[in-house]
Amino acid sequence: MQIETVSHRQGAGPDGAQLQTDGDARACRILGRFDAHESEQFRTYFEDVVAEGTKMFIVDLSEVDFVDSTALAELVRAMKQLRQEGGNLILRRPSNAVRIILELTKLDQAFTIEAAA
Amino acid sequence: MHGTQLRIGFVTAFPPGRNSLNEFGFHFVNHLASSDGVESLVVLADETEAGPPDISEIRANNPDADVQAEAVWSFNDVTNPARIVKAARRHKLDAVIINLQFATFGDGKIPGALGLLTPIALKAAGVPTGLILHNLADNVDMQDAGFTDSALMAAIMNKAGRVLTRALLLSDYVALTIPRYVEFVRESYGTGNVLLVPHGSFEEMAEPKFGIPDGPKRKILAFGKWGTYKTVDVLVEAFRDLIGRGYDDLELVIAGTDSPNSPGYLDSIAAGCADLDNVTFTGYVAEEDVEELFSSSAVTAFPYTSTTGSSGVLHQAGSYGRAAALPDIGDFTEVIEEEGFIGQYFTPGDAASLADALAKLLDDDELNAEHGERNYLAASGIPMAEVCDWHITHLNRVIAGN
Repeated sequence: MQIETVSHRQGAGPDGAQLQTDGDARACRILGRFDAHESEQFRTYFEDVVAEGTKMFIVDLSEVDFVDSTALAELVRAMKQLRQEGGNLILRRPSNAVRIILELTKLDQAFTIEAAA
Repeated sequence: MHGTQLRIGFVTAFPPGRNSLNEFGFHFVNHLASSDGVESLVVLADETEAGPPDISEIRANNPDADVQAEAVWSFNDVTNPARIVKAARRHKLDAVIINLQFATFGDGKIPGALGLLTPIALKAAGVPTGLILHNLADNVDMQDAGFTDSALMAAIMNKAGRVLTRALLLSDYVALTIPRYVEFVRESYGTGNVLLVPHGSFEEMAEPKFGIPDGPKRKILAFGKWGTYKTVDVLVEAFRDLIGRGYDDLELVIAGTDSPNSPGYLDSIAAGCADLDNVTFTGYVAEEDVEELFSSSAVTAFPYTSTTGSSGVLHQAGSYGRAAALPDIGDFTEVIEEEGFIGQYFTPGDAASLADALAKLLDDDELNAEHGERNYLAASGIPMAEVCDWHITHLNRVIAGN
């Protein structure tokens, strides 16, 4: 798995409108396999982002080719933490593999998901 | 993950009672009690001869939580649905979660089936209800599991199982712990309210020591409720095989009790291996003794001939970083590998094959440690506290939809 820091100013909101983010927003892109063995890497990255005061965090999942429930739990945990602090975690362009597990868990109804640009 | 604070009821078998899923029930309650979205928690437990539900440890672990327990249903009692609905009303519960497998409410056909109507009864009473369903009737071989000796009766029971599954699917949501089961139910039953919620790890534990523990004996552990499709006959035979191969430092530990469908099974096994010095039958293992049981074992064996899903014991073995000898049963293998577990596989029912698998894990400490670490990561993937959060999310979604 790789995590790349990317610009948060791309993509569209859930309804296709441009996503509104404030100046504290950060975004990353995850590439490859995202599973139990990789989730700690994401957690470390996320903790660093939060430590910088970020409350709006966008995770681009368009290049993820496998995700398991442990990795999904990392995203849930991050979403919960940010929402408790008045922010949010947004999933950008989830790949088919991610969409499947979001739908299996029905957590697609809990996350804010940013549609394709 | 936002929602109002809920008054939640949790229907479950619960210690000191020893009915199936009592351990899952205990750990779920232990974490649900302190979840952010819970105002109060009422454990709607089973009445057992062991005494009333004991939540003293839950209260000690969650001193600020509003949690209480009440024994409101009994194994094989046909009035369970009415009793549970009555309790839900009395406690003015916002929602109920039921910890369920097909024989939770009884091994008698009538009380067992009636018990499975509890979710419908709760829903009819206006109580949003979620299920944690640990197995599917479609995947139970009724003959192999000891419910009947007749193939015809097994077919009838499977049909009845599908009818009862349809009844369960009338709940507001049904949580399964295995992705392929979610897909199967959605396709086979044409329903959309079934979803995946992982099993969750019982405890957040310090990383265990992987590999084969220091001797003097290397222990082979089998843990479960024995006598139906989970038998130890082939394991004892494999143990004899290993002794014959010159392994003279082994101990076989058979932990747990008879399955309710097979009283006297372990006594018959003990009589059959009375000539073996190094076979120990522990009987029921108290919660506080589970860690030592697993941690002192070199390998955990799963001598199953068929399965009804994943394995709670494998999750426990993984929690303690243990390597496992697993039956190569297609569905089971796929399920546990989807969950991230790994095993040294053997042909079900084949003692020599099981002995080979055990020998591999006993001979190669590096491989043993590697498997143990993989299983630890798989088992510790999602803490139970987070699994509880997922359920609260779904209950809030249901309540908002109502």
